[in-house]
Amino acid sequence: MFQNFRLTMAWLHTWFGLVLGFVLMVVFFFGSLSVFDREIDRWAIPESRFAPQPMPSFDRVLQPVFEAMTKPDAANIEAARERVNGPMADSFPVVNSWGAYTTHRDPVLSVFTSFVLPNAKQADDLVWGSLTIDPRDGRPLPQDHLKIGSQFFYPLHYSLNLHWKNLGTWIVGFAALIMLVALVSGVVMHRKIFRELFTFRPKKHTQRSALDLHNLTGVVALPFHFIFALSGLVIFGGIYFPVTHTQLEPLHELHEQHEAMATGLPAQRAGQPATLASVDAMVAEAQRRWAAKGMAGEVGFLNVQHVGDANAYVSVYRAGTDRVTLTGEGMHFKGSSGELIRVDPPVTVVAGINNFLTGLHLQHFRHWLLRWLYVLGGLSGCVCIATGFIFFVEKRKRQHAKQGLSGARWVDALAVTTVTGMLIATMAVLIANRLLPGDLPARGDWEQYGFWGAWLLAFFHALWRTAPVSEGRIAPAWGEQCWAVAALAITAVLMNWASTGDHLLSTLGRAYWPVAGVDVALLASAALAVLAARRLGRRAHLAISSPSAEAAHA
Amino acid sequence: MSATPFTPPSRLHIAARIAAAMLGGYAFCWGFVALFIASMFAAGMPFHDAESLSYMLAFLLFFGLFLWAFAARSLARVWGVLAGGGALMSAAAWLIQRSLL
Repeated sequence: MFQNFRLTMAWLHTWFGLVLGFVLMVVFFFGSLSVFDREIDRWAIPESRFAPQPMPSFDRVLQPVFEAMTKPDAANIEAARERVNGPMADSFPVVNSWGAYTTHRDPVLSVFTSFVLPNAKQADDLVWGSLTIDPRDGRPLPQDHLKIGSQFFYPLHYSLNLHWKNLGTWIVGFAALIMLVALVSGVVMHRKIFRELFTFRPKKHTQRSALDLHNLTGVVALPFHFIFALSGLVIFGGIYFPVTHTQLEPLHELHEQHEAMATGLPAQRAGQPATLASVDAMVAEAQRRWAAKGMAGEVGFLNVQHVGDANAYVSVYRAGTDRVTLTGEGMHFKGSSGELIRVDPPVTVVAGINNFLTGLHLQHFRHWLLRWLYVLGGLSGCVCIATGFIFFVEKRKRQHAKQGLSGARWVDALAVTTVTGMLIATMAVLIANRLLPGDLPARGDWEQYGFWGAWLLAFFHALWRTAPVSEGRIAPAWGEQCWAVAALAITAVLMNWASTGDHLLSTLGRAYWPVAGVDVALLASAALAVLAARRLGRRAHLAISSPSAEAAHA
Repeated sequence: MSATPFTPPSRLHIAARIAAAMLGGYAFCWGFVALFIASMFAAGMPFHDAESLSYMLAFLLFFGLFLWAFAARSLARVWGVLAGGGALMSAAAWLIQRSLL
């Protein structure tokens, strides 16, 4: 498109990087927080601040819980209205499956039931009910308390919480593609590649230091960023290329018939009622077989298919705490008799690669140092994107000021919103979580309004306080929002103390790391924000007392 | 550098490039995924293996095509290869599927 390949790559990097950078920042930051999503859940739901629990007894704890679940979630019923002919049914008598899922980091247990949707337009359409329980006694936890880590930050990371037609997931997918493009085009842009890529001159003027840091974080973590963008795309491959559910649907159905025959696991109900044998005995048998292979024997996922039917079968999957790859080593038992029908065969080479990529991205393993390296990798991506914005603005602001253009100011305002504004929103949802009364109806929704409301306010503030950029100066918005971040982070820590009594000395003393870790991270963020705010303040002061000092660097 | 004088691309040209990279690239990759799954399944590869391998390759392919759509000299050729190739591969996948059912 331009004179040569390098210029074309530079153009791609600048403009696609800028536009999708705003999305990528959100993806990287909330992806980093998602590494500790379960721990953030503990902070947000004080009732769940106890030690992680193994999968409880099915026969004693889970079965009564499942039997009491007679309806899908109200929101899911609402969403299913357009998928039925005529009015929505009042009862959902046919239970398709019961499932329970846990990890080595979960004190509480998620259980879910899928019901056959009556009068569905598409045969076999399902509608889901879910519950979070205390696995020690089966007592349900309040369902409207938001799991901020696993139900808000984590889906924000891959869907922006824009669920309409999967729009957010598509935007994030395109952003991931652009991440790959930006990494490669970013490397191609440089002429003296090796020297440029490992240089950081923090004492130089802003534009130079920002670019150095941009190159450094971009290159040092390049393999990490490339693999994560790619594996993220592959995980959602079926959403982005729904070929086997559209064009190749007939082929897919053919395969499912073959598979049902090959595995001996019935794809359909028999239509005859039957009772369920002891699932605990099946779990014990599965664990005995894993132990014989020298594998860690915690159960991660338990599923009963075709509940109440003669064709019912129980699948027991292993929690993959001992390896990176996504694993399961599933064992399948006949529901009515408890007899073992099938052991999952060793995975094929392709499935092995796919499971490894997926496991690498989703991290089910038990390795805390590696978890922190993920956070570091993710945050280095944030630094890379933020310095990209700053470089964009610094490079253009004086030129734009001379020509009377407002482009640099707009980009700076959006950059402030996506960098410090995003932090303000994050602190706001934590504060809202500790501030709102426990019995407030739809409490979780209000916490989310707090998040988006704070972000919107930060955007308006950024728009207002970036005015000096159009005269070629530094925007006060950056420093002011840094102060806000610091104040809010400290408030969140204090609110946690005031509302639960779990102050840092207590949580550190008990070594209850989930809550202590969140508090320490909040205080560290506050310290960094103060440092940044003070530096920005000094620089602004310098620029006012000697305007030529700033301009001389231009 | 090229010896011929360079005229910067018009807005329309840039828009057409972006559309080619995004939509054309997607169409081509769709065709690739469909043809890969259908032909590999026909050749005896397990269905889910064909599916996941096709995704892994498709995103790398999409990424390469995206760069190429901007780097290539002729925009007409870009559109021709991406849209034409996508349509051809989808049609081939459809034929293979029909022969298997």
